[in-house]
Formats: sequence, C-alpha cells, structure tokens
Amino acid sequence: MAATETFALEGHIVDSLILPKVLDLVLESGSDYRLLDVVIGRTPTDPSRAVIEVDAPDEATLAVLAEQLQVQGANPVDSGVAETAPAPADGVAPADFTATTNLATEVRLDGHWLPADRAEMDCTLVVRTTDAGPTVVTTPLHRLVEGDAVVVGSSGVRVIAPERVRGLGGFEFMDSDISTEKPKATQLRALAERLRQAREDGVDVLAVCGPVVIHTGGGPAIARMVRAGWIQRLFAGNGFATHDIESNVMGTSLGIDVTSGGGTEGGHSNHLRVINEIRRHGSIAAAVEAGYITDGVMHACVTEGVPFILGGSVRDDGPLPDTMTDVVAVADRMRDEVAGVGVALMLASTLHAIATGNVLPASVATYCIDINPSVVTKLSDRGSHQAHGIVTDVGPFLGQLADELGA
Amino acid sequence: MPAGDLTWGRRFLVCPPTHFGVLYEINPWMHSEVSVDGERARAQWDGLVAALKEAGAEVETIEQDVEVPDLVFTANAGIVSGNTFVPSHFRHPERQPETERFATWFADRDHAVERLPEDLSHEGAGDALPFGADTSPGAPILLSGYRFRSDAAATTPLSVLTGAVVRPIELIDERLYHIDITFCPLDDRHALCAPLGWDRYGTAVIESLVPEPLWLTDEEALSFTANSVVVGTTVLMPHVPPRVGRQLEAWGFDPVAIDVSEFMKAGGACRCLTLALDVDLTGTS
Repeated sequence: MAATETFALEGHIVDSLILPKVLDLVLESGSDYRLLDVVIGRTPTDPSRAVIEVDAPDEATLAVLAEQLQVQGANPVDSGVAETAPAPADGVAPADFTATTNLATEVRLDGHWLPADRAEMDCTLVVRTTDAGPTVVTTPLHRLVEGDAVVVGSSGVRVIAPERVRGLGGFEFMDSDISTEKPKATQLRALAERLRQAREDGVDVLAVCGPVVIHTGGGPAIARMVRAGWIQRLFAGNGFATHDIESNVMGTSLGIDVTSGGGTEGGHSNHLRVINEIRRHGSIAAAVEAGYITDGVMHACVTEGVPFILGGSVRDDGPLPDTMTDVVAVADRMRDEVAGVGVALMLASTLHAIATGNVLPASVATYCIDINPSVVTKLSDRGSHQAHGIVTDVGPFLGQLADELGA
Repeated sequence: MPAGDLTWGRRFLVCPPTHFGVLYEINPWMHSEVSVDGERARAQWDGLVAALKEAGAEVETIEQDVEVPDLVFTANAGIVSGNTFVPSHFRHPERQPETERFATWFADRDHAVERLPEDLSHEGAGDALPFGADTSPGAPILLSGYRFRSDAAATTPLSVLTGAVVRPIELIDERLYHIDITFCPLDDRHALCAPLGWDRYGTAVIESLVPEPLWLTDEEALSFTANSVVVGTTVLMPHVPPRVGRQLEAWGFDPVAIDVSEFMKAGGACRCLTLALDVDLTGTS
C-alpha cells in the first residue's frame, strides 16, 4: 500500500545542491514528490526552506528513504499523533471532537497515516481496533456508541486536497461563477462526455430529482436514462415520485396536463388519488407489479432494479408508503447508497441536493442543473465546492441529454 | 594566478600531548593495540609548533588530562567566528567530555559561547573550513562536511549562530571522516581537494567554488595530504608528495613536511592538531 510522508528541509540547501539531491533520492527510490512550499533565502546567509510531500510505493521504501533523507537534514514534519477520547454517551461526542470535511482525511496513529474509511462532512472520526490493526471510521453523531474512541483536536489529522482535474471539456473554464450566459450546447456535450467516462470507469451515477423535473416534462428523459443504464441510483422526495406516477397514470402533474399544459377538471386532487392507490397497493413496486403504474421514472427504477430513496418532509401529502419519514434513517440509507457513486446529478432540487451534498465525498463530480443559479451557490456555501452549475430549464435539457447519450 | 595570503591562519590554539594515546577506536585509522610513543609524539608536536611559529603564527595552548586523550586535535574544538565560539557536539561519547573543556577555555578569554541544539552533532573546524572572500559582504563560505561526524541539519543553526554562509558537503568515504582530511584552503583561489571523500553533488559545489583546485589522487588523499595547515604562503603538510609539492611551489607556496606519524595512528595530522583563532565568517571585521 502506498505510503505518504511530509519532510521539511531547511538551511543553505540550494547552492549546496542538497535540495536537488534530496529530490533525486526520492525519485531514485521509486517514489514521487510534491513541493508543498519552497522559500528561497534572499541573501546568501538567509536559510531556504522546502516542504516536500513524498509518495512512496510502500511503507518499507518510505522507511529506507526517510533514513537517507534524514542524513541530508530532511526530517518528517512533526504532525503529532492523533488523540482520542471516549464518547461520553450514545450519540454524543467528546466536546472537542474533530469535525470532518467532505475531503479524504487521514489520521496519524503509531507513526502511520491511516485513511478514514470514507469522506463525509460534519461527522466524527472513530478509531476502531481490529485484528488487522486500527481503522478510522467516519461516523455521524447519532451513530456514536458510548465509549467509542473519538478523534479530538487537530493534531495528527490531515485532509488531502483534491487534484484539480483538467481537460474535462467545457467545465474547467466555467466554474468561476454560475451564469445564465453560458453556451448550453457545450455544457450539455461536456456533461454527456462525463457520464460516458463514468460508464467507462465503472462508477455509478446518482440522480437527485425535484418535482420540477416532472412539471417541466423531464420525466420521460430520466426514465430513458434509467432504462439505458445511465443512472444507477435515484434520490428524491414524496413529491417527485407522486407526480411521476400521476403523470403516467392520470396524464397530469399537480393537476396540469403534461402534454397540453392546461388545467383539468378536479385536477387539484389527482395526486392525492394516486397516493391513495399506491397506499392501497402497499408500495410503488407492488403497484408496478399489479400493472397500476405502466411507465415513468419510478416504473423504470422498479423494473431495472435501480435503488431509490424517497426522503419525507413535514409538508408531504399522503405520503407514499415508500417515503421514509424518519429523516435520520433516510440520511443513513443515503450514506449507504452513495458508495460507488462517481457522478451526481442534482436536478432542479434544492433541499434534496443539499442533503445529498452533505453525504457525498468531494471526489464525486457533482452537476447542479437548475433554472435558479442560487441553488448551486447554496450547495457551494454549504461545503460542496465541487459542484458545477448549469443554469437552464431542466425538462428540455434532460431531453437533449438523453438524446445525446442515445438513451 | 600566484599564491595570495590567506586572510586567516596567523593565530592557533594547540594542545600539548601530555595524555595523548589511542585508547579507543572511533575511526578506521585507530587500532587500540597500536601503542603511541609518547616521547616521539611530543617531539613531533614540538616540531609542528616550532614550524607554525617560524612561519609567523602565534600559538596559544590548552592543557589536556587523562579523560580527554584526543584533546590534542584542537581543530575539533568548535567554530570560531570573530568573538563568537560555537563548541562542538561530538558524535562519539568518547570525545564528548572535550566540549566543556574547550567552552571553558573560550569563555575565560571573553568569547561569547553559543550552543548548537543538543540533538545535533557537529565537530567544529574539523568539519567546517572557510573558503574564498568573494561574497557580497566579503565573508568566506563555510564548507561543512556531514554524515560521519556532523549532521547536515546542524549547519542551519551553525549559520544562524556564526552569521556564516554554509555549504554542506556530504562525505562518503569513512576513512576521510572529516572535511579537513579532504579539503585544504590555500588562499582565495587555491585549495587541496580530495574528491574521493565527496559525493557528486559536493564535488560539483566545490568545483564551482574553487577557481584553481589541486586535485589529490586517492592515494594522496588517504595519506592525509589535505590535512595541512597554511600560514601565509607556508603549507605545513604531514608529507609532501613530489607532484603536489611542485604544483604548490609553482603557485608560489612553500610546502614543508612535518612528521606527525604518531598522531596519524589516531587518524589526525597537521590540520587536526590546530584550531585557527583568527577566523571571521561574517565579513564585518
């Protein structure tokens, strides 16, 4: 397993060729380096300083290299050792617990950096001892058990900054701000390319959908993408599923005819009747099985075996029997389902997008497609800095995306 | 270019060998079964001191006792820069008692004694020789050997304490365990150089620093040719290989062979037996 250590080298290291010698030693060992910081002295008597991060192929190579570097005066930067304190009660962390970010995190124990099992923001880090040695488990507050060894303070904890990914078509130059004035066709092709890349890499795509996807006519496109294997997970709420089923069973979305756009007689209660029927069947899957639902996104998920999570809220009608009303349980399900996800599409959803952003590692490419630019800003403000924004009307955009993908 | 006078090397600290002997083995030259002829050692040492004086140098002395047989090698006392003295931190416990002997000597003579960090080794002028005077403040560059006896990391505090510009040079041959066995500054342009002792980076640094080096063969290096003392244009050498002598004379130096064979049993020659007291590494004097 690869091993990483940071070394500091100080003194008259430039004219003495010690810095190039140290870098040569790193490369000759089969390791690689990154210069995190170099300060060159201004006068001949000023010392210079270099901070060098070394990536060795394994611990043994690193140990040999560390000895060689020590001879040259390069010593491991003292990152300290992580301290832990026992959780005082179930669901309660010690007062000065280390709070996580959505970046990959490592904890220094016994002189080694151990990666946390996964990256999720706003969690605690728990050190567990197994037969294979200690492991670091990213744990939300409510999952703490009294006595858990929770990492406290900041000593011996580091986050690994993500490398800037370059060459993803149109996206790298459009990230600076969220604007309505971007060429949509370019963004569309770049997103399609990213989804093809995900398929090639064998990582899953998650779609997080708001009800507006159905209202604006994007439902059939999502269903096509599910059936063609472009989407492997679906997170949504009671509204999205309800209107998807309503539009397929009754031809309306919140009572509005999805083809003509006109109102319908008694349409305001259509979604309630649909919910009632699903409740009668017991679940969406049962309603599909019974032939009550014959098409649409939920139908595609059931028939294609794509897992979906419907998170409930206080204002939900019904709700559908599949809608989970225990929000802590929903978040836990979401945590389990984001494993293996490499790309997330946040489609015209504010609250579910933010909730999903909370459990996603920063390494997941996240695309936020919304007619309201503030949703992307809001995601970024809450820590999901990796979100790319495409400001557009989601329904037509999804249709074009499905066409571009040949779904 | 002909020889020019070295700006330092007119005043030396030496230690008469009243308790000298090979009592332990801390370098490849030392063999404790080899006995030192005390009378002969004293006669050789007297010869060296006489030659120093004859060449125009002043000599001051420190006394040794039974606990510190290697105190005769005063080059390892520490680093002198103007009125500052940085005592050595010896790698081997056998020589560590020397540190306070030297520190006291300098403190008694109104030097500011500055200490290196406890955990770093540096063996003084034996592992640090000034060369040149061409940097902007007029200060020489201090070439500091590291690996066997001194730590590379010690050169940073050494620079801070003395104000010197330091070039650490990695030593790679254990037989040439101090830089003063591999390098001897003759003046601002000339130096005896033994590349056998250096890695390729150190060799490159010295090549770029010394305009006219006299490259020593491996055999010359291993017979301590570079462990010589320079007083003005006089070069006091443990022996003078004819080839080296001719080149030195051609440059205008006056090489003089001084027999220090009893001290070479302990791995030290002319330079090791002296510490220049008139070195200023800051260029302000």
